[in-house]
Amino acid sequence: MEDFLELMVSVCEAGSIYGLVALAYQIVLRPTGIINFAAGEWAAIGAFAAVSFITWWKLPLIIGLPMCILAVGLVGWLTEVIAVQPLLKRDAPELSPVLSLLGMLIIYRETVSSVYGVDNLFVPMPFGFGRVELGSIAGTSQSFFIIITVVFSFTLVWLFFERTMWGKAFQAVAINRVAAALLGINLRLVTAMSFAIGGAVAGLAGVLLAPITSVHFLMGLPLAVKGFTALVIGGVGRVEGALLGGLLLAFVEKVTIRYAPIPSGLALGAPFLLLILFLLLRPSGLLRARGEQ
Amino acid sequence: MSRVWLSWLLGIVAIVALSLILEGYVGNLYRKLLLTVALCLSFNYLFGISGQLAFSHIAFYGIGAYGVVILTYKVGLPLPLAIIGAVISCGLLSFIVAVPATRLKGFYLALATLAFAQLFNVLLLQGGDITGGPEGISGFSAKGYFGVPSSGGAYTVVIAGILIFTFAILLLLDRSWFGRACRAIRDNEAAAEAMGVNIFRTKVAAFVVTSTLSGIAGISYAFADNYINPTVFTLEPLFLLLFMIIVGGTGRHAGAILGAVVLFLAPEMLEAWIGRHYLLGFGVVMVLVILFLPSGLIGLVDRFQDRLAAHGDRQ
Amino acid sequence: MRTKYNIKWYGLFSAILLVAAGLWSATATAQDTIKVGIITDRVGNSAAWAKPIEAGLELALSEINGAGGVLGKKIELVYESDQSKPDVSATKARKLIDAGVVAILSITNSPSTQQAQTVTMNAKMVHMTPANSAGYLTTKLKNPYFFQMGPLGSTQIRTLMAYNKKNNFKRVALVKDNSGLGTYLGKIFRQSLEAGGTKVVAEQTIEIGSTDAIPQMQKVRAAKPDAIYHSGIVVSAMATFFKAYHQLGLKQPVLGSFNLSIPKYLEVIPGMMEGVAFIDAYDPDKAQSKAFAAAYKKKHGKTPFSLPAYGYDGLKVLVSAIKRAGSTNNEKLRSAMAATKGYVGVLGAKGQSVNFTKNRAGFSVDGAVVRIIKKNTHGPVVHSGTKN
Repeated sequence: MEDFLELMVSVCEAGSIYGLVALAYQIVLRPTGIINFAAGEWAAIGAFAAVSFITWWKLPLIIGLPMCILAVGLVGWLTEVIAVQPLLKRDAPELSPVLSLLGMLIIYRETVSSVYGVDNLFVPMPFGFGRVELGSIAGTSQSFFIIITVVFSFTLVWLFFERTMWGKAFQAVAINRVAAALLGINLRLVTAMSFAIGGAVAGLAGVLLAPITSVHFLMGLPLAVKGFTALVIGGVGRVEGALLGGLLLAFVEKVTIRYAPIPSGLALGAPFLLLILFLLLRPSGLLRARGEQ
Repeated sequence: MSRVWLSWLLGIVAIVALSLILEGYVGNLYRKLLLTVALCLSFNYLFGISGQLAFSHIAFYGIGAYGVVILTYKVGLPLPLAIIGAVISCGLLSFIVAVPATRLKGFYLALATLAFAQLFNVLLLQGGDITGGPEGISGFSAKGYFGVPSSGGAYTVVIAGILIFTFAILLLLDRSWFGRACRAIRDNEAAAEAMGVNIFRTKVAAFVVTSTLSGIAGISYAFADNYINPTVFTLEPLFLLLFMIIVGGTGRHAGAILGAVVLFLAPEMLEAWIGRHYLLGFGVVMVLVILFLPSGLIGLVDRFQDRLAAHGDRQ
Repeated sequence: MRTKYNIKWYGLFSAILLVAAGLWSATATAQDTIKVGIITDRVGNSAAWAKPIEAGLELALSEINGAGGVLGKKIELVYESDQSKPDVSATKARKLIDAGVVAILSITNSPSTQQAQTVTMNAKMVHMTPANSAGYLTTKLKNPYFFQMGPLGSTQIRTLMAYNKKNNFKRVALVKDNSGLGTYLGKIFRQSLEAGGTKVVAEQTIEIGSTDAIPQMQKVRAAKPDAIYHSGIVVSAMATFFKAYHQLGLKQPVLGSFNLSIPKYLEVIPGMMEGVAFIDAYDPDKAQSKAFAAAYKKKHGKTPFSLPAYGYDGLKVLVSAIKRAGSTNNEKLRSAMAATKGYVGVLGAKGQSVNFTKNRAGFSVDGAVVRIIKKNTHGPVVHSGTKN
């Protein structure tokens, strides 16, 4: 039983990271309809930013973390300006922004490996490494830090969307772009902001992950795939869906490895099977958006 | 003889002649180039003409390669039967994948096929004795069959033949009602349906045909170096294919050929200057093309040809 | 219709480009240097490992040329990058052959070396890998021109088992990652362990890119092994392994492959590998190693370890063969390589030498050493060879 609870902490930790990446997809996808597969690279940029600010410049976490998030938010905003806005302006076919973002994926990865090199880089654990036990629930200090930070971030984002004017504007654009424009909402600004906030969220995922796995220029793609899987599972319509999708994905992944009587190499295929299942059987995900039945 | 036949003949003669003349490093490059062009043509039909962005193309390349080698050297079938077996496997598997997958649109189809491709990779790696696992399968050759040694210029002709076969099939399909149906679905599914096109059957057929063509290219790849390994069949080569057809010009056969040739040879030729940064260059070129040159390089060539023609008219 | 023109044009266009590519890559065959081809990786999965090996090659090169080269000519290294892609590696091998190299060294991953080997075999070109550990490189293809200097996976596990003989571990766990080399080494480790009568009670794979290894290590913990053998090679997966190991309070000794001889781990997961035993091919106390380390520090400003030593010894062995052959003719060079015996380089345990006369995998079966990580540094050699 103890094992199971400990496993659940790991599920929450991994699920939080996947959920953040899924959220990054969602924030961009809902108002614009664009799937940004470069979200994984945004997370990687966040991790490299942590190397620069926290490892090399030795900034304390309280300054370093927001700086990393801002940095990737800026990258997100720039991405929109360079690779997406010109396409939206000339009414390019739907798939064009998705493809140009795939090009940006390669650009990010190669730029990062040119600047930082091909070796793995180190980011220190913000609270040291140690086993933390809360009753019969056990994990590391980083696990709980991740879970708390992610829950906090999701709450912030949820409040933003549900309780602020800007958030409502986002929702309006997500529901009907034309109507929103007619209501006076600045589509250009909403699109730019969605990329910036999406970037910031993905960057946070990278910073949280960096101390655990070290930072490497190829770390973005697996995250992109996992994040998208989490998004499909959880549903695109609601912020909570991203976190739920991430948790369910992590759950299936880890419980299969731990308890399924198959060789562990094959167990690594479970997330892909799950993705295929959801795409075929329930493509809209677990949680439906408000207003749909 | 009509001009079309004449230019086809000339093209075939040129490709075959090059297969026999070029040797060594350039010959090796040429062989890989032919395979890349074949893959680009079939991927272009799937994505550019049928509008299905699927990430499983390289997986079927691998299914063809592994299929023929396993059937010949592990199961013990004679080579011709193994080839037929591998082709049928590709056809069947792509059918099984297509039936549920073609319901998905846009990038969701890409993700479903990506998951399939990753699963294929997991199976390859865990396949133990059947697939050779991480070692791959080596030490085989197709010598003795058809009297053609599997290395050197003669085999390059075989690969060239497969490329020409692929191109011919795709061109024939494209010019028939099937091609029109595929384009109609790509442009506006609802309108296509209203006009009587069976969306489901057309999409599945396009997926199966292009994936099987990819598998056939894979069969010939297996004997190009007589070594197959899981690392060749991952996601990276697929991104490169996508780049090639977008830069060349999506939806146009000539565009696929042009993109494949340019992006395949560019790193080789520019290596002295840009070295390892050629990938960055690809990304930049791809984004620039999507932003500013949506009809691809072939669009530029068209404009050039138009200007030449207009110039000729004036005289 | 436009299309018909395009087929002709592209045929012509490609032909021109190809000829241009061919001419471009054909370097002027200057007769005043002896060219050695190096297939490396500058952008892909093996880039982080190939870089230090190149540093070792460069040191050997400067020493050889500083002493006047060989056969009266200087050595020139011609680099090609294969991005760790096997099909590209084969093409680059062909490119190097056409560029007039006398031999090729492959310093990327084993599958790439294997596919390159299919080309060098046909061209009867001497081909060597200084660092690859895959046994299939010399067994699957009957290629008398191919030589391997890296410690084979089977050698590594048997050395670890000999080291553990006194501990008499009856039940062990095996952890690997889903990389090609990690999975392959895992297979070899398991075969040897079971052949030696040890039971593998848990075998787990860590996925590259995963955020933690808790479920895998929980399964290992539940199986109550006496020791944990780790055959993985990917840094991020290794990081999650050690974190889970500590978090779950595991105390079993950990034994790793030659991959852990790379100091990068000490930087990236500091303090977490105390007491871990690993295989190395480099004994820093050997006289040759001391000389090598001094020269390396002078040239590169860093302390060397196993990887540069592979590059250094690799080139030196090749050049010694060229000298003995008295020519760069393929056949003569091959015979000279195959006759290499008793070569004591930087690599290998004290008293061991490279021997290609019995086996084209020339790293001595007793040439691997076991070292232990203490105080976040690689400690001295505590055991060598497969005898106890």
